[in-house]
Amino acid sequence: MKSRAKYYFLMPGVIWVLLFTLFPLVYSLYLSMTDFRMGRDPSFIGLQNYAEILGLDGGGGDTKALETAGFTLFIVLGSTALTLFLGTFMAWIFNHDLPFLREMRAVITMPLFAAPVAVGFLGVVIFNETNGPINNIFQGLGMGRVNWFIEPWPARFAIMITDVWQWAPFVFIVVLAAMQGIPDDLYESARLDTKSNWVLFRKITLPMIAPALGTVFLLRLVETIKILDIPTTLTRGGPGSVTQSYAFYIREVGLRGSFQLGDASALSYLVLIVAIIISSIYFWRMRARYE
Amino acid sequence: MNVRTSRIVALLTILALLLSGVSAFAQDTFMGKTAAELFPIPDVAANEQEQQLAFQALLAAGLPDGTALGAGQTMTFGVLGQGSRGGISGTIYFWRNVFEAATGAEMEIVEVPYNELGTTIPADFLTGQYTYDAFIGAAWQYGDWVSNEWIQPIDQWIGDPRFPSWTPDDTAPAFRALLQWGGQTYGSQMDGDAQLLYYRQDILSDPEWQAAYEAEVGSPMPFPIRTWQDLLAITTFFNGKDWNEDGDPDDGISLHLAAGGQGHFHYATLAASFAVTPSAGDDARAVSKYDNVFWFDPDDMTPLINQPGHVRALEFLQELAATGQEAQFGWQLGEAWDNFLGGNAIATFSWGDVGSLSQNPDRSVITGNLGADVIPCSSEWYDRETGAFVTDTENPNCVGNTTGGSWHPTMSAFTDVPELTYYFMAMLANPVINFYNATTGWQGIDPCCTYQLYEPRGTAVSEDYTAVGFNADDMERYINSYGSNVYDKTTYLTYLRIPGTLEYIQETLDIRLSEAMTGQLSAQAALDATAADWEAVTDGLDRANQLAIYQAAIGYTPGG
Repeated sequence: MKSRAKYYFLMPGVIWVLLFTLFPLVYSLYLSMTDFRMGRDPSFIGLQNYAEILGLDGGGGDTKALETAGFTLFIVLGSTALTLFLGTFMAWIFNHDLPFLREMRAVITMPLFAAPVAVGFLGVVIFNETNGPINNIFQGLGMGRVNWFIEPWPARFAIMITDVWQWAPFVFIVVLAAMQGIPDDLYESARLDTKSNWVLFRKITLPMIAPALGTVFLLRLVETIKILDIPTTLTRGGPGSVTQSYAFYIREVGLRGSFQLGDASALSYLVLIVAIIISSIYFWRMRARYE
Repeated sequence: MNVRTSRIVALLTILALLLSGVSAFAQDTFMGKTAAELFPIPDVAANEQEQQLAFQALLAAGLPDGTALGAGQTMTFGVLGQGSRGGISGTIYFWRNVFEAATGAEMEIVEVPYNELGTTIPADFLTGQYTYDAFIGAAWQYGDWVSNEWIQPIDQWIGDPRFPSWTPDDTAPAFRALLQWGGQTYGSQMDGDAQLLYYRQDILSDPEWQAAYEAEVGSPMPFPIRTWQDLLAITTFFNGKDWNEDGDPDDGISLHLAAGGQGHFHYATLAASFAVTPSAGDDARAVSKYDNVFWFDPDDMTPLINQPGHVRALEFLQELAATGQEAQFGWQLGEAWDNFLGGNAIATFSWGDVGSLSQNPDRSVITGNLGADVIPCSSEWYDRETGAFVTDTENPNCVGNTTGGSWHPTMSAFTDVPELTYYFMAMLANPVINFYNATTGWQGIDPCCTYQLYEPRGTAVSEDYTAVGFNADDMERYINSYGSNVYDKTTYLTYLRIPGTLEYIQETLDIRLSEAMTGQLSAQAALDATAADWEAVTDGLDRANQLAIYQAAIGYTPGG
């Protein structure tokens, strides 16, 4: 009876994982090897979808997938780097005794609690070419207006800025917690050798917060690879298709038009493989460092 | 029907409406409900005037008691989602209380965003959910809906006295065709979408501005505007000048060209007269391999979108757009309308909404100064049969349009409450209710029918519009142009109604146009890319099947 009870307790978790994690994974892997379109019977085609996307079938490959992957890479690298830098910088400032620290901290973390869709719509107002506050400020400073939604590069940066605005507070919270966990006596000892804040940061703070930064880096990287909400609401993928992210494209292929769920599943698996490789490298490095 | 007979019919109709209106004043309830209960302020009606006008229309509509059709049941209605006071969906919210009072049933409204139209409703059918008893979509979706047998004909109920009265005969033939497929009626009338040219009547007819134009350009202002080339000359002249005297430079044209919006409609409307040629025979609208086709070669589904006529049209659209603000390339529909209605642009071309919205003082400063005309012709067009451009300024190529969704309800083939559903569909199609809806402006419902058009094309009179506060001169120009577009044109832009229309238009053409308009691609490269995209879509959907449906949709007989 005692030995059976543990299985009863385990069962809900096992069922949950089987139903909501393993089954979708296995089913979408199967779909990725079919020519399934919603409303039609699927045929098994092996790795043909993957070959077509990657151009291994003698064709030119899925150029749209490549284009959207390029934009996604731009956002992943730019946004992750900026969120880490800004979040760490804000955490460093707030790790000092400043007036209204608690109030400011609450204000800074607010974007984190907004839905990305809402943040995207907010961006539509903020980046509005004619009446948006950003362009108004630029004009007030004697600079010209930026065509945020019309020109490709400003549109790309509008998405990156919006994403950074929302997620820098996440880095801020985690890194601030890590900074506050550093014993004061380390700094006091170090100050006997140097008065340079930069040296203190580089030699003590940075190494001590590195594990937290590494985790945040991984989370942001994997999260940004899936970016969909902000391009959908802020630019709708435009102008043209320059701000269509990879996830945006998967959605276009699988859930719009002719519902090509086979192709969409293959595209999804490719990004899953990339995410697994990145995570594995990270955990391998972490293990190597701490074991 | 000769002119005299039609006048007598018109007079009798007006008399009947007036009489029903008089008796309406004698009534103060509908099915035991007052105007305040049916159109509460601010939940449904915006103000007392709107409440009273709607209630008068309701009483004049003479809706039959529908409680025997499904009292206590629930009907689920899917609609383009723009909110309870937004275009198209607002109409459903506005009349829901009336439907529930008339039938004793309940209505559940499910809004579907514009960009999800091609996803939500098809996915519902493909996965066997069958959520909706009826839904309002665009006429271009018939290719998917009918070929998949998701919707059912409604002919059996039309004319049945148990339901609100309406007849497809009232609908202008160009719009009626969009409610029908294979000789059967699937949709009930609601909205008639077509694009018109709108301009500032006061500025363009001002002798001082005409003299200034002639002094600068060296020729008289080409007004009235006959051709796209005339329009470009005018918008070029006015763009950047402070003609509205607000201290800032103003615009020549106002267009909505954002990716993921409805900018592709601007292109199709404009390109028609550059790329469509009428038939040379007795019937100018006869479809052949070369004439009256716009989208695909009707023999093999080869895209025509990158033919020289199309490329020239897109280059022209680029030139025209350059006579307005750069911000246009990021504008959605409402922003382009508001720029024109706010008095900042000389011209725009868009749907009938602009006509009714121009009369709304909350939205428009140009009431009384609205100029309207049919979409311009082109003095330059491409003849595919000869493989050469034709230039003729005396006899330009004129092509009418029914561009747009012509949003209207269709009934699910899987509904459990077909008669209850039809009651609501017929209610919205009732002439009195539909007339009222089209005059509100905010509902996004455009004229479709004879009872909304002036003589000789319809039975409406100026007083019908001035009674709801519209400017008589504006309406004269607007309504007559609308009627002229749907009745008088020699030929029309082919309406694309095949499976995958959204994929062809929204998912590919719209994006490529945006790339061309924002300078990422040349017109030729953008349309070549579109053609390649379309080939892939056609192959993916089964070319032979697509070809058969396309031929049926445009009335083409191979070898005929």
